[in-house]
Amino acid sequence: MSEPRIKVLCIDDESRILRALKALFRDMDVHVTTDPKEAIRWAGEFDIDVVVCDQRMPKMQGIEVLREIRIAHPRAMRILLTGYADLGAVLGSVNEGEVFRYINKPWDNAELRETVQLAAKIARDAPVVQDKAMDDVSREMARREVGILVIEDDPEVQQRMREILQPHYQVRFASSPERALQVLEKHETGVVISETAGQHGDFTALIKALKQYHPHIATVVVTDRANANVAIDLINEGQVFRLLLKPVRMGSCRLSVDAAVGRYWQLKQNPSATRRYIVAPRAESQLPSWLAGSLMQRIKLLPSRLLGLARAH
Amino acid sequence: MMVEAILLVACLGVGAYAGLLKKQLASSQSRVVQGAAELEKMQQSQAQVIHTTKLASLGQMIAGVAHEMNTPIGFVKSNVEVVRELLGEHREIVAKCLKGFETMLAVDLTNPQMHEPMRRALAKVRAALAGDERLRDGDELLKDSVDGLVQIANLVKNLKGFARVDRDGMDLLDLNECIESALTIAGHQLRDRIEVVRELGQLPKIHGVASQINQVLLNLITNAAQAMGDSGTLTLVSRRSGDQVEIDVGDTGGGIPDEVLPKIFDPFFTTKPVGEGTGLGLSIVHKIVQSHGGTIKVRTAPKKGSTFTISFPVDHALLKQPA
Repeated sequence: MSEPRIKVLCIDDESRILRALKALFRDMDVHVTTDPKEAIRWAGEFDIDVVVCDQRMPKMQGIEVLREIRIAHPRAMRILLTGYADLGAVLGSVNEGEVFRYINKPWDNAELRETVQLAAKIARDAPVVQDKAMDDVSREMARREVGILVIEDDPEVQQRMREILQPHYQVRFASSPERALQVLEKHETGVVISETAGQHGDFTALIKALKQYHPHIATVVVTDRANANVAIDLINEGQVFRLLLKPVRMGSCRLSVDAAVGRYWQLKQNPSATRRYIVAPRAESQLPSWLAGSLMQRIKLLPSRLLGLARAH
Repeated sequence: MMVEAILLVACLGVGAYAGLLKKQLASSQSRVVQGAAELEKMQQSQAQVIHTTKLASLGQMIAGVAHEMNTPIGFVKSNVEVVRELLGEHREIVAKCLKGFETMLAVDLTNPQMHEPMRRALAKVRAALAGDERLRDGDELLKDSVDGLVQIANLVKNLKGFARVDRDGMDLLDLNECIESALTIAGHQLRDRIEVVRELGQLPKIHGVASQINQVLLNLITNAAQAMGDSGTLTLVSRRSGDQVEIDVGDTGGGIPDEVLPKIFDPFFTTKPVGEGTGLGLSIVHKIVQSHGGTIKVRTAPKKGSTFTISFPVDHALLKQPA
């Protein structure tokens, strides 16, 4: 028997887009609608594998639809397909929609099909982790075992992070990729909080490389260098868990880091769910030169006892 | 009770549309500005300001239209690729059928024993061809694609008409066309949150610089859209009123506070956060309207919204000409 057909749900206010997608996915079971409310109902009703949703629609924004579907039918993987790359939508698709991929219109047919096929396979094979708050026992254990690494070279922001996080977690700081790797090699690190760049260059390549080999580590990007395209890459190539804008606010920072630790803890107990957060591998040739050589090697070889997965196997 | 503040700004004499801005500035300012050198400097900086904001609104316009095009380009491109695949698959079916025919042609039909297998083989070929819905599906996709290309062509046409890079002088303008053009360009800011109501009357054409009038309308529409936040109604009215042609651009936003109202046409005055607005929008609108011999007014009420009205003189010489 061959695999059962992939079940896709497409939502767009433009019916011609929907007809195009239906034709593109003609070997799958495709449900299409222009009505977001209907889509939210259908996701569970038809036990959908993959949702492909437009962002700008008159009745409801795409990220709201995806957030609702995430709650109603968490098994489905979510893809945002949009012609508009505005920062607000990108932030929302990370923080609320937790999308698997953010794809721009016009899309590449082969790429979109591959993405949907991969997402469907993950939706079927990988279990869902629950987004519930940790109980006191787990929280205490996580506090003892799991470290948080902050990659940031602004001393003021470091100080602010220390104030917010030190009372609750083991926090370590690095102002360069080299130093960050030293921390990762020494301590179990569940959450990496990072700027997109420092004075001496780009940090996003490091975050992406880390995700490529160790997708269970949750990354929270806190930046004042906000740019929609950088953020889109952080979703597609870095599966960033939360994306926050500076100035760092106590409330949202705590909430995001708590949720990130919770996510790491869940994945630690349940490693097969990690596949939901994988990114496409990047060719060595695409990496910046400072990362391509020995640093990349060290990322690959991070000792598994420090990756928190050793106990689960 | 609705409290209406009425502000009347810049009322020039009827028929005094002076054409190009530079000329206009020279005549009105020579009375106040003492030194000729200083005047020269001011004119240059004013021209510079107009040029810069024109570039800004061009940029805004291009970004908007580019975004607007992504949707039709998205499905047209996808459809064309899919139709090509469908045709390929269909060709394979046809090739199989042809091969079947070849075999059948080689059969000895004088042998009655072959009649039944032949009939079955033909039925199979017929079923394969009749059951293939690829051509019909492809046809539908191509029909959508033609629609999409027309949509893209219209956007490009609007962009060209809007910028008028090819002819930047005085023209005879249909203000209703200018309104439609500005609405298309502002489309991405309005779509999915703001309802647009048009009450466009019959208008005589006026003399004006199309790119400048379009800039005025785009500016007023953009301001209105920003005043309304998440939802609201944008009302565009055009009418002839005596020897004036008037356009209202109305929003249902929060209105303009009393302390802000007197300053809205001042250069560099802005209520937007640093870095978001140049503060030049309405001052440029004012300048352009003035240079066309027109006036601009605003009526505003707290929590009800604001309506900007621009009016231009009708050229009587034009009215006598056959349409």
